Amino acid sequence: MRVRLRPLRPEDLRSVLAIEEASFPRPWSEGMFAAELGLPDRMWFVAERDGEVVGYAGAMMQLGEAHVMNLAVAAGARRQGVATVLLSGLIDALRDRGAHGVTLEVRENNDAAISLYESAGMHAVGERPGYYVETGESAVVMWSDDLDSPGMNARLDILRARARRYSYASDDDGHPYVLGIETSCDETAAAVVGAHNEVIANVVATQVDFHARFGGVVPEIASRKHTEAIVAVVSEALTQAAGTLGRPFGFDDVDAIAVTRGPGLVGALVVGLAYAKGLSLATGIPLIGINHLEAHIFAALLEDPNLAPPLIALVVSGGHTSLVYVPEWGEYRVLGETLDDAAGEAFDKVAKALGLGYPGGPIISRLAEQGDPAAIEFPRAMLHSGDYSFSLSGLKTAVINHVSHEREAGRELHLPDLAASFQAAVIDVQVAKAVRAAEEYRVSSFVIAGGVAANTALRQGLTDAMRSRGIEVAVPALHMCTDNAAMVATAGLFRYARGERMSRADDAAPGLRLDSA
Amino acid sequence: MSTPRFTTSSPSATQAVGRSLAPLLAADDLVLLAGDLGAGKTALVKGVAEGLGVAEPVTSPTFNILLVHHGRLDLYHVDLYRLEDSSQLEDIDYFETIEAGGVTLVEWGDRFPEAAVGDHVKLRITITGDESREFSIAGVGDRGMQLAASWADACVGLPGVVFL
Repeated sequence: MRVRLRPLRPEDLRSVLAIEEASFPRPWSEGMFAAELGLPDRMWFVAERDGEVVGYAGAMMQLGEAHVMNLAVAAGARRQGVATVLLSGLIDALRDRGAHGVTLEVRENNDAAISLYESAGMHAVGERPGYYVETGESAVVMWSDDLDSPGMNARLDILRARARRYSYASDDDGHPYVLGIETSCDETAAAVVGAHNEVIANVVATQVDFHARFGGVVPEIASRKHTEAIVAVVSEALTQAAGTLGRPFGFDDVDAIAVTRGPGLVGALVVGLAYAKGLSLATGIPLIGINHLEAHIFAALLEDPNLAPPLIALVVSGGHTSLVYVPEWGEYRVLGETLDDAAGEAFDKVAKALGLGYPGGPIISRLAEQGDPAAIEFPRAMLHSGDYSFSLSGLKTAVINHVSHEREAGRELHLPDLAASFQAAVIDVQVAKAVRAAEEYRVSSFVIAGGVAANTALRQGLTDAMRSRGIEVAVPALHMCTDNAAMVATAGLFRYARGERMSRADDAAPGLRLDSA
Repeated sequence: MSTPRFTTSSPSATQAVGRSLAPLLAADDLVLLAGDLGAGKTALVKGVAEGLGVAEPVTSPTFNILLVHHGRLDLYHVDLYRLEDSSQLEDIDYFETIEAGGVTLVEWGDRFPEAAVGDHVKLRITITGDESREFSIAGVGDRGMQLAASWADACVGLPGVVFL
């Protein structure tokens, strides 16, 4: 997911300080940062992702030369181009302010930083022995060539091009903007993404509290709650977009509306569709219908902008368990699906049978953490079937049988062991089939998508199995695994660029399949 | 008239019971299925679908509430598991669906008395052991009673089926 570069503001100091303290043995104090903000010859930027500061950089101007004083990236955001974005933006801004050259000191053993600075055309000119007293390391002093020299210009062009892959500029107009709308099941959601899949607004009004009492998604409630929430959720998304961009943002700025057409609950789908069609009719903004499962796969692109087919995706959610071959974006071959219950449904029903509440996934996976996955031997259905189909109904029955045997024998149920053993039976089959598909289709990327991808043990099992075979795994961030509209908007951006449009006469498609996307 | 009761010894026998219903079905027939989680309601519907010549896999309709399959007759596979009260039958177009010219099989069909409309068959599946299930078939109305009786007859002699 990309970052946005903007000037440091006083309200960022807390986040900046947290990154500073985690990054350096002798961090700057809050007072030092606060003092910087007031000085005229200073220039500070932060990199922001999803509304959160993930890095910052600052420099001081002296007699036409710029001294980079600080550059740091949050631990969870490293190796994702954030430092490249910060350095490129900072150097450009310094040059605009009249700097002819840039200098800095870097810890002698910080190879990653040194190679980044070298890529920006800087080279070592000297050393300050023992500069970092806490480790005894020397500082390498680096200088750039004249910023207006042809060599530096070429270097900075390359740096800028790399930075653009990881960021979007706030002065760039950002079009096309796609408004995504998602109401296929539990969540009323709206989001806005920009031309490079950058999420500039993402609002989810969860309905899960309403449903918790009933042990599942209740369609009438879903439909009524979507109707109550949709207007406020979309308007909140526009407000959020304006906040992210730092300028007014309204329907005039939206180039396309992407809305989930299916699969899902018909009563829920029609609410989002009716709203989107009405908006399109009133504003003339083109409408794009999106397959919910395709959107789940696209969510991985928000996490890793460089993700590229061919890839295998496992889409696991309350209503779906599908293994999909994606030869290129927009083309899907469903290799196998569940023959009976979906993975999320199995979790929900087992949780219900054990009297544990809804939704079942998080409850069972929390319990499983304290249990022994080998305690009870549950069947691994279809493990050796030779195809890519799944079956979870027999496992559900086996859990129910186990429960009644234990009760008849007068034994207390060991819920953590039961949860861990059930979960392991689900995961083993998913991992085995996913690995076989990835090998058969010789892909180098694998995507885990859908609400059940939030299950830590499943993510871990799949990631370990794939990585050990040299296959890269893309998992959307947790809040992008569960239903959201950013993924719908991203799929919409792709289809908008291909010139695809939906007719306002098109209906909801509750049984829409991925191979007809 | 007594209610026919029999047992099956495996999920495949349950599926065979479903398959034997298929040739007897006519437009607008309604079958309400009752039984706990794991009793075999979806397995039975799979058998019916197979007998009707449905090509695609029949999966649990819990998530979607209603799944439509096309065979010799349209099969409307309904699941009332997640409905909160009978007023929601209206929301899911239940009453239109059962008269739309196909055959309707309803999982958790005993959840609301309002779902038992007109002539229909009530099938209850009881879990009696890990693999074994007990079935009881009852008909309501002329068509319901006729269908229940001929279905029970068609199950006689199926492998794994024992009448009580």
